[in-house]
Amino acid sequence: MHHKEIWLVRLFNDYLPGLGNACLKLVGQPAQERPWESFVVMQILVAFIIIVLFAFLRPRLSVDRPSKLQHTFELIRDFIYGESKDAVGHDGPNYLPFFGTIFIYILFCNLIGIIPGFESPTMYPSVPAGCAIAAFCYYNLMGFREQGVGKYLAHFAGPMPLLAPLMVPIELISHLARPLSLTIRLFANMYAGEQVTVVFLSLTYFAVPALFMGLHVFVSLLQAYIFMLLTMMYVGGAVSHEH
Amino acid sequence: MRTRLMLLALVLFALASPIFAQTPGTPAAATNWVAITSGFAMAIASGLCGLAQAKAVAAAAEGMGRNPGAAPAIRFALLLGLVLIESLALYTLVIIFVKVV
Repeated sequence: MHHKEIWLVRLFNDYLPGLGNACLKLVGQPAQERPWESFVVMQILVAFIIIVLFAFLRPRLSVDRPSKLQHTFELIRDFIYGESKDAVGHDGPNYLPFFGTIFIYILFCNLIGIIPGFESPTMYPSVPAGCAIAAFCYYNLMGFREQGVGKYLAHFAGPMPLLAPLMVPIELISHLARPLSLTIRLFANMYAGEQVTVVFLSLTYFAVPALFMGLHVFVSLLQAYIFMLLTMMYVGGAVSHEH
Repeated sequence: MRTRLMLLALVLFALASPIFAQTPGTPAAATNWVAITSGFAMAIASGLCGLAQAKAVAAAAEGMGRNPGAAPAIRFALLLGLVLIESLALYTLVIIFVKVV
């Protein structure tokens, strides 16, 4: 999985190796010759694009004469609002910021690979793993906050205390399998999409690789939506009170 | 008659054991079993995934035909089901990428 360095990563490695090695030293890793990994630089770029986009949008928000950009983001926001009400329940919109961030971030990360000269950071297993661990920590923290630490952990024992020795391992394993499946689903879809496009590009000319690239765009959208939806369902499972 | 044929087949299989003797002096020609089995594994995973997704799509299409008013809900369940089934085939692909040299 060692690709050629793209131009932005080469710029970072040529002019900013000291900054990269300082960051590596902060987490206890040894300094390397070319410390900036491709997915780190691409994630920084995606975050920068999102910040610039919202910095551009915020002063132009208006109730009377909304701009096209405002319409687009109102559509996205209403969509996530409706989905969170369906998946989490009545309190869904309390968690809207996290769901919206996850959706827009993963969507932009997936789509930036379509632009020639850039590659999707979600193509490397570390990035989906980071998002999945963030989602895992988030839904557990929301469960703790909503129900208290003791009561939330008591849910692992199942409906009857007699079943606890059977239920606790099963529940633990299924909870640990959630970030694993989120990671692998997103990583495998993005990696496979890129590999298929590259393979067909080496076989034939424009039409067939373009078809697969179109499929890759659709899969990117779908995978970002599915990641957000599954996070919502996990949060819903964590914060739901039995009436 | 059939038992005689089966007994004959059994004896022939037993007599075929010299196949396993290698000619002395050949270096261990390492066949890349990992690559071969990964090809079979991916084919089986994709085939079963195709069958499962076909069942899901067929059920969804029939449901939408019977009750067009419920089409959005059915479409949502269809998409969710398709993605989750697809991810099972992709787990096999990931194992292949991790294991094949």
